[in-house]
Amino acid sequence: MSVTERDTAEIDLGRVEELIASETKALDVKHAETLRYREVAKRRLPGGVSSSWQTWPPHPIYVDRGKGSHVWDIDGNEYVDYHNGYGVMVMGHAHPKIVEAVQRRVELGTHFAQPTKDALEVADELEERYHLPYWRFGNSGTEATLDAVRIMRATTGRPLIVKVEGTYHGHHDALMFSLFPTREDAGPHEHPLARPESLGLIPDSEKSLLVVPFNDADALEVAFREHEGQIAGMIVEPVMTNCGVVLPDDGYLQRLKDLCHANGAMFAFDEVKTGFTVARGGAVEAFGVVPDLVALAKSLGAGIPCGAIGGTEEAMALVISGELDQVGTFNGNPLTMAAAKVNLQEVLTPEAYVRIDELDGILRRCEDVIAKHRLPASMKTLGAKGSIDWRATPIHEYRDLWEIDDRIPQLAWLWQLNRGVFKSPGSKWESWTTSIVMSDADAERYVENFESLAEAITR
Amino acid sequence: MAVTRAAEIDMARVDELIAEEERALEPKQPKSIAFHEVAKKHVAGGVASSWQDAPPHTVYVTEGKGSKIWDLDGNEYVDYHNGYGVMVVGHAHPKIVKAVQERVPKGTHFAQPGPEIVPVAENLVERFKVPLWRFGNSGTEATLDAVRLMRAASGRDLLIKIEGTYHGHHDSLMVSVMPEAEDIGPREHPNSVPQTLGLPQAFADLVRVVPFNDLDALDRTLTENEGRVAGMFIEPAMMNAGIIPPEPGYLEGVREITKRHGVYLAFDEVKTGCSVAWGGAVERWGVQPDIVCLAKVIGGGLPCGAIGATEELMARVISGDMDLQGTFNGNPLTMAASLATLTEILTPDAYDHLEHLNTILADGINSAIDRYALPAYVLTFGAKGSVIYSPTPVRDYRDHLKVDERLSYLAWLVQQNRGVFKSPWAKTETWTIGVQHTDADAQLYVDNFTELASMLAAAS
Repeated sequence: MSVTERDTAEIDLGRVEELIASETKALDVKHAETLRYREVAKRRLPGGVSSSWQTWPPHPIYVDRGKGSHVWDIDGNEYVDYHNGYGVMVMGHAHPKIVEAVQRRVELGTHFAQPTKDALEVADELEERYHLPYWRFGNSGTEATLDAVRIMRATTGRPLIVKVEGTYHGHHDALMFSLFPTREDAGPHEHPLARPESLGLIPDSEKSLLVVPFNDADALEVAFREHEGQIAGMIVEPVMTNCGVVLPDDGYLQRLKDLCHANGAMFAFDEVKTGFTVARGGAVEAFGVVPDLVALAKSLGAGIPCGAIGGTEEAMALVISGELDQVGTFNGNPLTMAAAKVNLQEVLTPEAYVRIDELDGILRRCEDVIAKHRLPASMKTLGAKGSIDWRATPIHEYRDLWEIDDRIPQLAWLWQLNRGVFKSPGSKWESWTTSIVMSDADAERYVENFESLAEAITR
Repeated sequence: MAVTRAAEIDMARVDELIAEEERALEPKQPKSIAFHEVAKKHVAGGVASSWQDAPPHTVYVTEGKGSKIWDLDGNEYVDYHNGYGVMVVGHAHPKIVKAVQERVPKGTHFAQPGPEIVPVAENLVERFKVPLWRFGNSGTEATLDAVRLMRAASGRDLLIKIEGTYHGHHDSLMVSVMPEAEDIGPREHPNSVPQTLGLPQAFADLVRVVPFNDLDALDRTLTENEGRVAGMFIEPAMMNAGIIPPEPGYLEGVREITKRHGVYLAFDEVKTGCSVAWGGAVERWGVQPDIVCLAKVIGGGLPCGAIGATEELMARVISGDMDLQGTFNGNPLTMAASLATLTEILTPDAYDHLEHLNTILADGINSAIDRYALPAYVLTFGAKGSVIYSPTPVRDYRDHLKVDERLSYLAWLVQQNRGVFKSPWAKTETWTIGVQHTDADAQLYVDNFTELASMLAAAS
């Protein structure tokens, strides 16, 4: 209990459970076609979905189309989209400039597995935003962080990678550890265990990984001391975005970089979620720290599968010399590049981020709601990203999340969904993503729903 | 593939011909050569993927239509590269253009499931006879998921792979892909050679490598590692060593032996799927694996991947005990292109057309080989084909290592200088034709090959 802790209202969890039940029932009624289709889909796709994280209780929601800041499910329900495809669509759905770029490019061919000119224009844009000179492309964030790990190991000749507890860096084997460890199996705070996050990972691959808490540079210093000459590098999400939005303490990111360099190791940002969302130039711009490597995906492709890895001259030296292959059949394919080029040059402009800040201003009214109703909640936003965490003091590192009861964020998700706002499933962990095409009314709807929820659970 | 009275090729003369063809190519591609230098400024090595950069210099492509592509200098080619075997539909196929143009105004990405996923999955079930599917964004992601499923379902650690095959660039299978002759070790116990820097040897040591077309080696390796092997990965026909087809009975034997040892069998059909036949290798060779990995052809030119597996293997994904996930998985744009590809373009009749074209290619090439007594043979399967510059059949990777790569490189240059774009790294690659290729496109390849054959005959 910190001395600054506010006096907060007690949430009646019995009441929360009743509301979850009634909100779930209300949702089911709206989703007759979704529920029917799910049974059909389950015959051909495990769980009836193409990715396990597309399904969430009470049932997966099948989306038919999107336009601007709105999406429609297959039952015809309309929502303001704060999910934005797990943080991809910061430019909004079917942006006219993206539509035009894709429609034009598809007539000229979309794939040659030969380089095209657009790749350079995209790389130029990325260099300007992230201050890293050399770029390669891929098809997903998973591929981008896979490349980052390989480059760090190849360049240093060392085996160990450091990651932060509670962050997700894609589903390849090297980093699929300690995403959501439980209190029981996470190990001591100063020495978190590397907990496998999936069955079927490369056996003993946790031996190649060290886990440290977020916002604790001392823990990294200890790791370097304990594993001298063995650590290839550290990969970090500069803002944690899988336990709400967790901001780095002042000086934290710079100190990580300095520690890595002082110990002959490399330093990589996973900006798959923060790139183009927390600021035009991602966390590099927001916090003024330039790492050795930046992994991108999500918003880069404006809704087309994409990924990118950028590096310093030293970090990319082996790729440039040809001693290390960075490969993929679809890498830099013309369709993705055409969409990314227009997205970066014409859509995600500096002015677009002015709009993001205006929307943030409206959403910040949720703080008034928190104060007025003395909610045990706190709000964090940065650029297009934001979250309300059901804890009076802001989350500072992953383990703080253990104190949050799953039921309240689940109710918050259902509440918004039933009132025309689509937030990402798994809302205890997921942040929201606004888009540059959202209206004031879109932002106000979120605030209004949040206020009616606050009334309902504090009544 | 009968090879008779093959002539001996004078390799010094081949080197001269290579130099002549390189000299002829350079003046045709000044813009590509110049742009490579510009692109290097911010794109590492000037290319988006290391394998897009091949001797003699990088070629930048601007557009494609049907069977043709154009490079930055405006040169037109009949495309036999087809983006490393992706574009069996041909470039900018009107049905793909329509599907994409109709989908993009409705939004392309929600990270929620959409109504397109079932018809795509239904089509794959029909073709590959495995019941349950998930989608991804590349072949790499498909084989990554396959490894995880096999290890999770079996609770075992080791994998078997074939020496000389590529299964994507993730850590588990980036082993002995194209190992150097001095690293490969004895044939009966090939070394597990990490294929890249940055791959811990401990990961490579979890892979047991066996030669293709050798059932005894497989049986022996499984016996030596009884109870420790999760599964076996195989390209049913090796596609990165020219083409090495399975010998009669080989795939049946692989199926029987893996079953007998209680080991899962995955077909990596990233290259063979929907190319060697409508139902890929599963149809062509009539052998049923537990897992099928797909990518390349099925997206019609959009980044794509898919994994199909039995109920037993997918059980933990269905129950939610393990996740297979990805932000872009099953995105509506890829699904729209995929649906058009699978149900409207690559229909069973399309494969009759591909076989017809491949007959023109095979007959023409064979006739040139016979006429000039070349030490070479040609293989074709559906959309795929390859000329192997060896007097005797190549049965596995070690045979492939003995083939002199200068002949296939010369063949690539001769075709490139005469309007045919083959995949770079020609010794290891195959050709891929598409449904929009014409008889004239096939004949051009044959004519160029015949010219090459006469050049080589003069060099013998």
